[in-house]
Order: sequence, then structure tokens, then C-alpha cells
Amino acid sequence: MIWVDVVQAVVSLTPAALATGVFGVEASLGSLWPMIAVAAFGTVGAIADALRWAFTRYRVTDAYVERRTGVFVRQYRSVRRDRIRSVDATAKLRHRLAGLRVVTIGAGQQHNAGESAFVLDAILRTDAWRLQEELLRPRAAGSAVPAPSGRPDGSGVGDRVTGTSDGARGTEDAQVFARLRPSWVLYNVFNSWAYIMAIGLLWGGFWLLSTFGVDVGGFLDGLADWEALGWGWTIGIGVLVTGAVGVIGLAVNFFTENWNFELARVSGEDGTQLRTRKGLFTTREVNRDERRMRGLQISEPLLWRWMGMADTNVVTTGLSLWSMSEPTAILPRGPIGVARSVAVDVLGSRPSPFDVPLVRHPAAALRRRLCWATVGGAALVAVVVWLVITDVLPAWTVWLGAAGWPVALLGAVVAYRALGHAVAGPYVVLRSGLISRSTVALQRSAVSTIALRQSLLQRRLGLMTVSAMTAAGWGGYQASDVDAGEAVEFATAAAPGLLEPFLVPNRLSAERS
Amino acid sequence: MASAEQRRPPSGTGALRLRPPGNRIERKAVWWWIAQAVVMPGSLLAAVSVGYLLWEAARPWLIVAVVVLAVLTSVSLFVEPFWRYAVHRWEVTDEAVYALTGWLVREWRVAPISRIQTVDAVRGPVEQMLGLATLRVTTASSRGPINIGGLDRDVAAAIAERLTAVTQRTPGDAT
Repeated sequence: MIWVDVVQAVVSLTPAALATGVFGVEASLGSLWPMIAVAAFGTVGAIADALRWAFTRYRVTDAYVERRTGVFVRQYRSVRRDRIRSVDATAKLRHRLAGLRVVTIGAGQQHNAGESAFVLDAILRTDAWRLQEELLRPRAAGSAVPAPSGRPDGSGVGDRVTGTSDGARGTEDAQVFARLRPSWVLYNVFNSWAYIMAIGLLWGGFWLLSTFGVDVGGFLDGLADWEALGWGWTIGIGVLVTGAVGVIGLAVNFFTENWNFELARVSGEDGTQLRTRKGLFTTREVNRDERRMRGLQISEPLLWRWMGMADTNVVTTGLSLWSMSEPTAILPRGPIGVARSVAVDVLGSRPSPFDVPLVRHPAAALRRRLCWATVGGAALVAVVVWLVITDVLPAWTVWLGAAGWPVALLGAVVAYRALGHAVAGPYVVLRSGLISRSTVALQRSAVSTIALRQSLLQRRLGLMTVSAMTAAGWGGYQASDVDAGEAVEFATAAAPGLLEPFLVPNRLSAERS
Repeated sequence: MASAEQRRPPSGTGALRLRPPGNRIERKAVWWWIAQAVVMPGSLLAAVSVGYLLWEAARPWLIVAVVVLAVLTSVSLFVEPFWRYAVHRWEVTDEAVYALTGWLVREWRVAPISRIQTVDAVRGPVEQMLGLATLRVTTASSRGPINIGGLDRDVAAAIAERLTAVTQRTPGDAT
């Protein structure tokens, strides 16, 4: 069936008209220049968009998606349809007002090699949906969408919804795994970004108020008798207020970004996709092909582990881990309990790989970490002492350097306690990490290379590092410092059928016992 | 391959251990590693020594660098090549590519043939002179290929050809 459709790209709305005349400020050049700048930007942007629209065409054929664009430099871009791994539809507020969507087609391009994504900005909402359906489930167009198949527990998990809130989308079959819970906001407001956000907000506010002629400094002076309070209190109050502004800003940001968040499995003839939708002003929908998924990763940041904060990402081929929009994240940062229960639904394996008890690593692994922490601490002290002798640093910094040692030892203990590994059904589970303890469940069948490493020190301590390489996610995941005797068994289990031809009975251990 | 059995296997207490790969690399590879040692820490040592001789004011500093580099160079000239030659092993079966490399840090790498993306026989200038080649086998993972250095040129070419033929017969995109 040949499906050839040539649709024209549509210009996105510009704020040019909005900017002029809305604000009744005195027409002094000083207060008006931002408006003029905005208006000029808007006009230029509109002209540029109009030109871009006039020169852009795209086409979907049987085998390729093609795009021609560029006013002065003509650009041709094509993506093979069987290489397409994700089709995202996003919309900024102005797109939504005009009923438009920006479609980003992901085909496993290498961002570090400078390849950009295939973006169609902007096309009609209905066209965007049709593209998504067409490109992600090639043969499903027009036919009835069948129930999800190939998943042992396809039914019975999550509630089955037919025809979601987005009625225009038509009949569809979706299993919803998670929806936004307002309490998740707590997990997203208390971090160092709060202060950066607050500084940005306050500076912006100060600048805006100054343009309108408000004396901010005098207003602040009048609030309290700062001289009587002293420096300590002033700074304390300043930090608290800034923090509070930052927290409120992050909360608002969290809700606008994750409004109506929904994680669901939608089915197609060629398998299923994990779909997330979210956003208040800018809506964002990401579809991830489950045939390309190789596992799941849950990371818990060290400082917030007590409150059970967790990030949940899928391990999949063809999605960029460096992208700001985090296409691999299937949940907003939230409680670990939700992450685990969603993991059960998504992986569809029981017992869940994230609930099986992990094998602790031998005490020698702790000794190795303590050893390196001591060496690192000693090196730091040595460098500081050298700098003190050569009069680069004052003498008291030696103590600061020495204080690094207990911190390093503590870090060694934390890092050791994070270590763990297991084999659970079709998955191999690896846990490690100091700053962020991450647990990854990787499909055993997805392991493409097994590497065992042993340094001289590890050899003395009877340890080995087992790495499972894969095409997905970070490319490889490792279990550091497994007991050397157990490492071969674990590696054999992690990649079934790979190591067996190279195994022989361990005569040494037989002789010893 | 009697010497393979004499070295400690990568296993302490388990019932099974990983046997080393069956084939040793060419003896000539020792020269290849020596040449590499001459190029890398060797030329740096020469540069620093020249600096030490010509620039008197900096001698108290440069002596440290000279000593450290001299030790590094002599180790990588006289210890590393022979140690590596004793360790390195490789094997290619119908199911997998298996290599053991390293000296201070040893690494056993096994990749199934069904996951191989590319197979290359690479020859650098020194390898050209010695008639050696490096077999480079990549999978879809971004964490590095399996490199088997110090193979005979014809052996490497034959293996590369055989592996290419096998991987072409294997369906799927090997991810």
C-alpha cells in the first residue's frame, strides 16, 4: 500500500501583534525599548517563519520520510521508516492556540556526532497524530486496533481505558500505568535549582519593576530595620526568602510541565508503545517503541534517599540520554514506591527485578574502596602540603585537606553499600553508585558483550568486575568487585549461552577441597 | 598451549571457571609494543631530558619528571611487552569471539557472533612492517570493541572475512 501525502507546513503564530500597545506605559524610550525589541523580534520571526513555510515540504512514502527546507541553503533530509524509533508531538502555547504541533522524529541519530533531529515545525494537530500513527504502527492505519499481544500479563495490570480524555484521537486502547499525583511536587522543589531559579526570578522581577519606575531598594529598606537586625539575620532572612521564592517557582514549573501527566501502554499491530503525555501550556507526548526497550533504570540521589526520591528511565536503543527533554524518563521525579510499582507494570516480569533481594558484594570490595579513598585522601594532603611549603596556600588549609579523608572513607562505605547484583527471570539486575544509587534491570537477551576485568589489587582481594555491554542506554552496565569465584557464574547467567563453551570445571577448587 | 594452564584462571572458589582462549598471538607483537613504548613515553622522556640538559634554572623541577618518565619508559619497554605477550590470548568459534588482554588490569571479553556489527583488520605503520594486524570486532554497544592485536596479517584477514560472512547470514539489526 503506497501512502504518499504531501502537506504544507504552517507558520507558527508570532507574538508581534501582542507586544505593541498593550502596555500603557509612558512612551519614554528607556521603558519602551524592550517592547520595541520584542516587536522587532516578532516581526523578523514572522517573516522568517513565512519564508521557511514557503520553502518547506515534507513527504511520507512507503520507505522514507523526507523533508526539503531552507531558503538560501537548500536542505534535504530523509529518514528510513524502519529506523524511526520515536515520534514526539510537542506544542508551545502559541502552537496550541493555532491548533498546531511540532513533530520530532527520532531515528537513533548520534547527537555527539552533530546530527540534529528531524523536526517538522509546525503541522496541524490532526496531521501530527496521523503521522504518529502512521510512522509508529505502519500497517495499523485504517484497520481496527487489536488488543496488546505478546505480553504475558497484558490484561489485569492497570485500568483499561477506551477513548481517553483526548476525544479527538478516536477510539484507542490504552493501559494507564500512572497519572500525576499532586504530592509528587514535594520531590521536585527541594533542590539546589531552587536558588538558581529564585535568583533568576528575583532579578527578572527587579528589572521589570525598575522599568516601571518602582524603587525596589527603597521598598526593601522600609520593610524592616535591617541595621538593628545585624548581618547574620539579614543574610539568614535573605536566604530563606530566596529559597521560598525558588521553591514556589519550581512548584509552579513542575505543575505546568507535568500537568495531566499520564504514562500508558498503547498498542499497535507491530507491538506496543510506552506513551507519556504531559504539560499545561506546552504539551509533550513521547511514544517509545517497546520492541526497542531493553530494561529499566531507577536512580535514587544520595541526599534525598531518606525521602525515597527516585528517577525512572527506560533503557532503550535510539533515544538520547543527553537531551534536555529527557525522552527516556517515563515518570517525573517521585516516590520510589510508585517507581517500583510502575516498573512491575512496564517490565511485566514477576517477581519484579526491582524487588528481588540483591547479592551483596564481599567485604574485600569495601576494603578496596577504603584503600582508594585513603590513597586519594593522602594524595590530596600531599598536594596541599606541597602548596603550603611553596607558600601558595596558608598553613591551615592542610587541616582542610586532612578533613577530606574521613569524608572519602564515608563515601567509600556508602559506595560499597550501594553495590549489589542479581539475576531475576529474564533480567539481570545491577545496583551501584555513590552520588546517585542507580538500579538497572537489563534484559539478559540484550547483552551483546560480556567483559570480566581484574586488576592486580582486585586479584589479591579475590574480586572481579563484570560488565554487560548492550546497545541500549549507557551502552554498558557493570557490577564492580564481585567475588571472583562467583563472577564467572554471574557472568554466565547474565548472558545465557555466551560463556558456556568456554567454561571448564574448576580443578583448582576441587583439589583444594 | 600448556603454558595457558599454568597461569591462575579467573576463578577462585566457583565450580566452573573460564578457560583462557585457545590461541596465543604472534611473538613479533613484542616488537610492536616496544615500538609503541618508544613512541609514547620514550619520546616524551627524550624531550624532557633535552630540556633538563639545556635549561639549567628548571633542573630541580625537571629532574622529577625525568626520573618518573625514565621509570615509566623502562617498564613499558622491558616489562610490559613480555608480560602482555604472556597474557594475551584469543579465540574465534562459530558462536563467539573471545579475547583476553591486558597486563596490570586483565580483561576477558566475549561477544556473540550474532551481535557483531563490523569486523575490521586494522594495520598501523609498525604492524605493516612486522606483518601483523589487529582484528577489531564491534558490537552495537558504545562501550568499545573487542581488539585483538598482534595477529598474523593473513590470519587476521581470513578471520575478518569469515566473520563478515557469518554476520551477513545472521538476520536482525544485532541490537
